[in-house]
Amino acid sequence: MHGLYNFVRGPLAWVAFILFFGGILYRLISMLLGARKKDGVVFDYFSLYYGLRSIFHWIIPFANRNSRQRPIFTIVTFAFHICLLAVPILLLAHIILWDESFNISWWNLPDSIADIMAIIVVACCGYFLWRRLTQPEVKFVTFASDYVILAIVAAPFITGFLAYHQWFGYKFMLILHMLSGEVMLAAIPFTRLGHMFYSPFTRAYMGSEFGSVRHAKDW
Amino acid sequence: MAEGQVIDGIYFNEVIEDAGLDEGTKKLTPEKIERVINDVLKGETGARLKTYVDTCIHCGLCSNACHYYLSRDKDPTYSPAGKVKQTMWEMIKKKGRVSPTFMKRASQIASTQCCVCMRCAMYCPFGIDIAYIMSVVRRICHLLGITPLYIQDTAHSHAVTMNQMWVKNDEWPDTLQWQEDEAREEIPTTRIPLEKEGADIMYSVIGPEPKFLAQLLYQAAIIFEVAGLSWTMPATPGWDNSDMAMYTMDSEIMGRVKRVHFETARRLRVKKIVMGECGHAFRSVYDRGNRWLGWKMHPFYIEHAIEFYYNLLKSGKIKIAKKYEEPVTLHDPCNVMRGRGLYEMARYVVSEMCADFRDMQPNREHNYCCCAGGGVINCGPPYKMTRMLGNRVKAEQIAATGAKVVIAPCHNCHSGLEDIVSHYKLGTHVKFISDILYEVMEKPGAV
Amino acid sequence: MKKGTAALYIGMGVLISILTFMLMPAYSQEDIVSLADSALGDRERPAAVFAHEEHNEKAEIEECNVCHHVYKDGNKIEDESSEGQGCSDCHNIKEGYPTRPLMKAYHDLCKACHLENKKGPITCGECHPQN
Repeated sequence: MHGLYNFVRGPLAWVAFILFFGGILYRLISMLLGARKKDGVVFDYFSLYYGLRSIFHWIIPFANRNSRQRPIFTIVTFAFHICLLAVPILLLAHIILWDESFNISWWNLPDSIADIMAIIVVACCGYFLWRRLTQPEVKFVTFASDYVILAIVAAPFITGFLAYHQWFGYKFMLILHMLSGEVMLAAIPFTRLGHMFYSPFTRAYMGSEFGSVRHAKDW
Repeated sequence: MAEGQVIDGIYFNEVIEDAGLDEGTKKLTPEKIERVINDVLKGETGARLKTYVDTCIHCGLCSNACHYYLSRDKDPTYSPAGKVKQTMWEMIKKKGRVSPTFMKRASQIASTQCCVCMRCAMYCPFGIDIAYIMSVVRRICHLLGITPLYIQDTAHSHAVTMNQMWVKNDEWPDTLQWQEDEAREEIPTTRIPLEKEGADIMYSVIGPEPKFLAQLLYQAAIIFEVAGLSWTMPATPGWDNSDMAMYTMDSEIMGRVKRVHFETARRLRVKKIVMGECGHAFRSVYDRGNRWLGWKMHPFYIEHAIEFYYNLLKSGKIKIAKKYEEPVTLHDPCNVMRGRGLYEMARYVVSEMCADFRDMQPNREHNYCCCAGGGVINCGPPYKMTRMLGNRVKAEQIAATGAKVVIAPCHNCHSGLEDIVSHYKLGTHVKFISDILYEVMEKPGAV
Repeated sequence: MKKGTAALYIGMGVLISILTFMLMPAYSQEDIVSLADSALGDRERPAAVFAHEEHNEKAEIEECNVCHHVYKDGNKIEDESSEGQGCSDCHNIKEGYPTRPLMKAYHDLCKACHLENKKGPITCGECHPQN
């Protein structure tokens, strides 16, 4: 147990974080260099004001027409993304590990709230799965990899929830939880989960084109 | 048109005979397809396409942006992401190793089942420009020689004559003279000044105006005359601002056509170019041609007719004698609304001219596409039903207003909506702004 | 856990255990079964399971100041121990400097030793079982 724990908590965690941050950096740099080479237009028309204007209209729920047309999806996706980001960062157990390793700590969510938020993440994943399986317009553009991505995202929350409640196989579940979290971190830069860091750029570029060239709204 | 067939393992949601696609496909070889796809993907596209493809999370939220999807009872093969799946994703995944039949279907999708209206870019949470992706597919099809026949012919006309309609060099001034003569019967001082160097405005129109919509030139002459403006039209190639080569993604021809247009304006030393009521031409001059030619913005102020009329009414250069009585609605063309944000100006103009204006729902930048633009109507008669069945939502949108007249300040929209109106028996008329403006404006000096 | 810090702890632990051999605990602690330190206030998790006598027997800890240490100017005072005091007398709840915050002090003390000896609980739920 000690050996496995140390391995997952130590070297593997480093690998995951290096892949995560290094991967994001690599993808962003190669995107920007590639754009410089073939898509100079992106830089020519880029506008910080219009880029941010567009981003704000899309990170605020119901601030754009599509999100108003799909209220259930909007609520689900915002709940999902907020919990998805907040729980791992603000969970006390995680902060204790940061503190232990790097002597840094910050405000934490009460465990009871984080517990509910984890359930929300898993439930939202269930909703996304349901959409992929039943809604024709989603099903048609769904590949096997989309299910894998969904599983990668859901796994740390399912295992984390089970490990927290210690209902069965606690130690095994905890190791599984750490592993699945590391898999997710490492997968983000190299899968479509990369929309996490790409989307501000694509959104801002579209906002720039619509704002400064087309003089139109894009929401 | 037959519906829903699998041919050579590829699903065609519509089966249409088109010599351009049918004959072009016969000449394709897998090697040629692979080479061209990879040439375009590696040579002409870059981070933008890659980022769009890598960012798309396959959520399907773009679907209800598309008039084809909505009109086709939410058939997912018509959804924006669905169309990317059937074209670009597969090409990238297979590294260009796709079959001739696949490419034929890809050309059908990109050229006739997408109007590149960019409405979906406003519905994608990430702002992925699906119209751009479809344009890349069109580019590949152009290089492979599988572009629908009718629009290809139009592109040829651009290449040969620098206008869209094979209008000969002597026919153009002849037509202008004819319309000037007609207009002088109404207001004797009317002129259509040709080649007047140093005029304030160069007025340019699209090829179909001299070809079969000559009354629009007449109306324009009257409006310029009443407003007392200093204007001119070129007597040489460069008078046509339209550009179907832009829609076939024959970018080299597009660039030539745009260059001639800009250079003509430069030769005439005008201050700005005013363009007639056309959407795609505006896109080609305002948004695409300048980029191809290496200008971030244009060497001249580019003014669409909507903005032009707006300024005339706002400044009082044109006054309304008696407002138009019949209930009207306004169609927002993609290229001047999503493409230039002229929706408030258009509403001002329409409200000034008409007593009973009823907006469609949704409207402004969210208005449904006409299903004719993006070169789709230019793909000709084989695809008429593609457009009719593909835009039921537009018919419903128009019918709901109860208007008797649809104002469409764009040629493609205008023609497309005329078809929609007659196919769905809406009993409405489609008019340009200038049709009504000409009718309701004060005409001092008229005899 | 930084290696240097860990080494320091071990070194000090060894020294202190030798030097405080004569200062045996003044009273028995067999009643203690958990570390329910009231100074922690509202806890997110149940108090850590800790049977004092059993633990020390198993871990073969004889010197009190292995855990009940006394620090001065950042150095452990080898012949002193602090079993008469509450941990929170030195370890404040939040403001850690110059000592560790109370929760962190507990975690570091227990977990570092367990990791070092490759024995004993190291994950959250092993010390803080839910119900």
